[in-house]
Amino acid sequence: MEKEILEQGLNLNRRKFLSRLSLGLGSAALGSLLVPDLFSGRSESEDAIMAALPHFAPKAKRVIYLFQNGAPSQLESFDYKPLLQKNYGQDLPESIRMGQRLTGMTAGQEKFPLVGSYFDFQQYGESRAWISSIFPHTASIVDDLCIVKSMHTEAINHDPALTFFQTGAQVGNRPSMGSWLSYGLGSENSNLPAFCVLLSRGKGNGQGVYSKLWSNGFLDATHQGVQFSNSEDPVLYLKDPKSMSRDERRKMLDQIAAMNDLSFREFNDPAITAKVQQYEMAYRMQTAVPEITDVSKEPDSIIKLYGPDCLVPGTYAANCLLARKLSESGVRFVQLYHQGWDQHDNLPNQMAMQAKDVDQASAALITDLKQRGLLDETLVIWGGEFGRTNYCQGKIQVENYGRDHHPRAFSIWMAGGGVKSGMVYGETDEFGYNIAENPVHVHDFQATVLHLLGIDHEKLTYKHLGRRYRLTDVSGKVVKDLIA
Amino acid sequence: MREKSTLRNLLENCLFVWLGLSIVLSLAPESTEFPSIFQVIGRSHPLLLHFPIVLLLAGIIFFIVPSLRENNEVKNIGELIFLAGANFAGITVVAGLILAKEDYEGESLNWHQWAGFLVFAFSIFIYFFRNISSKTIGFSAVILAIGVILTGHWGANLTHGEDFLLAPLNPEESQFPTLAEAEVFRDIVQPILEAKCVTCHREGKIKGELRLDHLEGIQKGGKTGPFALAGDLENSMMVQRISLPMDAKEHMPPKNKAQLSEEELSILKEWVANGAKFDQKMEELEKESKLYQFASLRFQPERRYEFEAASPETVKELNNFYRTVMPLYPESPALAVSYFGIAAFDPASLNDLKKVKTQVVELSLNKMPLENLDLGFLEDFNNLEKLSLNFSGLSSQQITQLGKLSSLQELALSGNNLQQESVKILSQMNNLKKLFLWQTGLSDSQKNELKKNLPTTRIDFGFDGKGIIYELNPPKISQAKTLFKDSLELVLSHPIPVAEIRYTLDGTEPDSLNSHIYSQSIWINQSGKIKAKVFAPDWKSSPTVSSVFMKSGLSPSDSKLLNAPNPRYQAQGANTLFDQIKGKNNHTSGEWLGYSEQAFEAEFEIPENQNVESLGLSLLYHESAYIFPPTQVEIFSWEDGSWKSIIRDQPKQSEKIGEIRSELLQYKIQGNSPQKIKVKLNPISSLPAWHPGAGAKGWVFIDEILLN
Repeated sequence: MEKEILEQGLNLNRRKFLSRLSLGLGSAALGSLLVPDLFSGRSESEDAIMAALPHFAPKAKRVIYLFQNGAPSQLESFDYKPLLQKNYGQDLPESIRMGQRLTGMTAGQEKFPLVGSYFDFQQYGESRAWISSIFPHTASIVDDLCIVKSMHTEAINHDPALTFFQTGAQVGNRPSMGSWLSYGLGSENSNLPAFCVLLSRGKGNGQGVYSKLWSNGFLDATHQGVQFSNSEDPVLYLKDPKSMSRDERRKMLDQIAAMNDLSFREFNDPAITAKVQQYEMAYRMQTAVPEITDVSKEPDSIIKLYGPDCLVPGTYAANCLLARKLSESGVRFVQLYHQGWDQHDNLPNQMAMQAKDVDQASAALITDLKQRGLLDETLVIWGGEFGRTNYCQGKIQVENYGRDHHPRAFSIWMAGGGVKSGMVYGETDEFGYNIAENPVHVHDFQATVLHLLGIDHEKLTYKHLGRRYRLTDVSGKVVKDLIA
Repeated sequence: MREKSTLRNLLENCLFVWLGLSIVLSLAPESTEFPSIFQVIGRSHPLLLHFPIVLLLAGIIFFIVPSLRENNEVKNIGELIFLAGANFAGITVVAGLILAKEDYEGESLNWHQWAGFLVFAFSIFIYFFRNISSKTIGFSAVILAIGVILTGHWGANLTHGEDFLLAPLNPEESQFPTLAEAEVFRDIVQPILEAKCVTCHREGKIKGELRLDHLEGIQKGGKTGPFALAGDLENSMMVQRISLPMDAKEHMPPKNKAQLSEEELSILKEWVANGAKFDQKMEELEKESKLYQFASLRFQPERRYEFEAASPETVKELNNFYRTVMPLYPESPALAVSYFGIAAFDPASLNDLKKVKTQVVELSLNKMPLENLDLGFLEDFNNLEKLSLNFSGLSSQQITQLGKLSSLQELALSGNNLQQESVKILSQMNNLKKLFLWQTGLSDSQKNELKKNLPTTRIDFGFDGKGIIYELNPPKISQAKTLFKDSLELVLSHPIPVAEIRYTLDGTEPDSLNSHIYSQSIWINQSGKIKAKVFAPDWKSSPTVSSVFMKSGLSPSDSKLLNAPNPRYQAQGANTLFDQIKGKNNHTSGEWLGYSEQAFEAEFEIPENQNVESLGLSLLYHESAYIFPPTQVEIFSWEDGSWKSIIRDQPKQSEKIGEIRSELLQYKIQGNSPQKIKVKLNPISSLPAWHPGAGAKGWVFIDEILLN
């Protein structure tokens, strides 16, 4: 009964709210901004959010996640293992493998010949981090990076591993990290979605990405990632038809809102108000998005920083530039995916191409955020869904070898947003197969990211089907060593 | 009735047994050792005590409410309940006295013990004198009820701690000290002890002779040894006990109590390892130590803001679609303000912020058009620490106004054109910790001047791209269609504003000197090809891009293919050539005629009274699909009963694999306009050596013949 009364009270609030809305279509989105669940009728989740919010200032306000889809090899990028070069072609000792399961692709292989990096490594910066020769731009900003060499995950195939990284569970239907943040922190700029998704594809062997990765799961649909298109018109159907003026559009929306208000009074369905809000946001996006996607106002030096590819819509470089612009405009979570990192064979060739696609623009993004004073409040993450084996898949040749999936150890980097800079964290054994110190599980990583944004990962929960869910499921520890 | 009174008799007699026992026990010396079976009875005290409380209170109701005493049956039941309660009180007192010999002492214990005893004794009194006068008994019963409750309360204090009951009414100040103020023991270690240990090791319940509720107790240690020995993990009893496995008898906290989390465990150990100091400041710890890192998460590094928070209503009012005003975190009085939406920017709205001028610590006006705006109002923002004004078109005068902001720590001015005057102002802003000056047009000497004058400020001049020469991207050619009737508009574009687009329409390569400079859209009225290229200072010129456009021509009165195309690519036969539909850039689209084994050969009649001055061939090239330019183009005219070759051409052959593209080969027909024309295209018979399919037969694809 108590619940019903509460519900009724909320409904009354909504009515008051809407009556104002129908007059001037005033501050509906503002309401959702301040009280994210005002319209969804779930007062409980609101409490949950309040509980999650910290007693200390968040270090990061926004995230840009440069997901390297397909799993780039750690052994050709950040985890330098001279032993693999020395023991080239020798079988991986069982004492190191310790019964690690294999994928169907190498399970039939009789031997597991070790293979070292085709590319040379060198130490860079004050942190003296080892970085391979195909990432020269990344190497030049190494003192801004926090490289974690001891990541490990549970899944061994792309889809579950990706889903695990993005949603905290290997099966689908859970909210993505960006959705959790949109839910937990709300929107910073109410004229843009809080969670945007940008896709690009390199020439290397690729794996697909699916919209379930940026799904809102059981959270409100407003927390879903908005996928931008790879064309010059990143948000489709945003332009008014040729003969329609802004005023006409405004009038039309007002009329529709008034009618929606009537049906809301009758049915009390919160989905109606959500719809009104979405129309309103789309209306404001009509001016906000062109301001952001227009690259012609960027100074010349920016094009040189990201590389001329950033002018070609749909490239990784263009997406990095767009990510900066979105983030700068208050988008909480910008998720990039760059496909093509699945080097089961022809690794040296493909890896070099892939690195060329992403190296300059990734580094440029850091430099760009930094020169605007935004790096301190923006967390940038670069990495794939797992690592690659230290042994060769298929025929071993000096210039042509492959590596299979490896969940036990891999490298990612983070920058800005309250992580330590110029740090290399964690270590693998000399075979680069197992973690020797400071392991970081995917849930630990997620807990740390949430912490940087001022959220306690154990308290940001949502009750669904009788159970409280969280991004880190039932585990995860904040890796304090990474926090500045 | 008889049976009932037997039971009652028994219970009445028992009362005195308990009374006797309890007197003996309370007189027994501290050190009395009981047989272990008695200990079991003693330890059942916490279970037993619930019975006398409930039964006595229930029985008391029968004594207090007069109407319940009118009916004999009811009265009897009431008395029996009270009697049972008194008996349980006795048993509980006995058990309690036995339990008290184990590790309990202190004031609460005394109060509890004596109150319990008195309750028991008083209940006996009430029971036996229940009939004197209902008023007296009622009054006594109320006293007894109070006694029962008090006894229970003191007992609860023993197990749960002195202030357990009322603690929720007196909430502690929940404000954390800052990292600078925090102390290792007081703020990190002690809270753990209080949460997990003190319930059993404190005044009144000193298990193992160890008290952890005051410093002396901690320093003194317990029965089996010192609590913590500086730096000596092995001999510190606390470390020993908490490190034991769960099922070890000595494991602490006891199995059934709340356990230490892994983090707490490591904190306690680290504290001992670090010297078990009681007065160490957090800041004195090494930054790498676990304790410090734990603390740095829990305590706010910076000072807290001292000023009052603005009212939530004010903050709410200030928020709109284009301005976000948010506390730094929910309980912080400090506000961060951001403006979004260049088109919607209203300078007057800045005045609204005066309502929160004390609270605003961060203000972001990036990209907002602030030209000619008086920034003097910022002076009133006493606590403004971070100000972002990137790309907002500031003048020297406005920068001067910024010079007066005394609490400013971070200033972002990237993208504003700064003058020497501004450099002077900035040079005096010693308070700044960070200054962002990318893209501000400063000379090297000005940069050095700033660096010299602001030695403690981290200045970021950003990336200027000087000396880096990249190739420009090709320009984009937009045209509504390839095949047009009267005229066609060509639009060229390039995303870099400084880039100069140059183009040619005569098939020559554009250069930076003689070719047309593109300024507005080009209107075309005949078939041809545009080639365009971009040039810009400090850039390598772009690759050339080209696009063809075709003016639709006459339809012949008759046409036929002399050789059949490859069955897979026969489109609509000869009709394809004059359907005025430009094929898509895809040879399998069904709009292209494909020839490989044989040459393409078609003839067509020109309608009467029509002149043909030029002939265009629309072809498709795509080297990776083996589609090449024809090796020879031959055009014949029907004159005087026989075919006469009027044009023979060898188009330029491909030299590398290129994009899939459409090409137009144009030929002028000299002399008299022919009545009948034949066109022959020879596909390449052997692909060149550089091609992956070297030696194989190539293809010719054609979709349109244009007669103008």
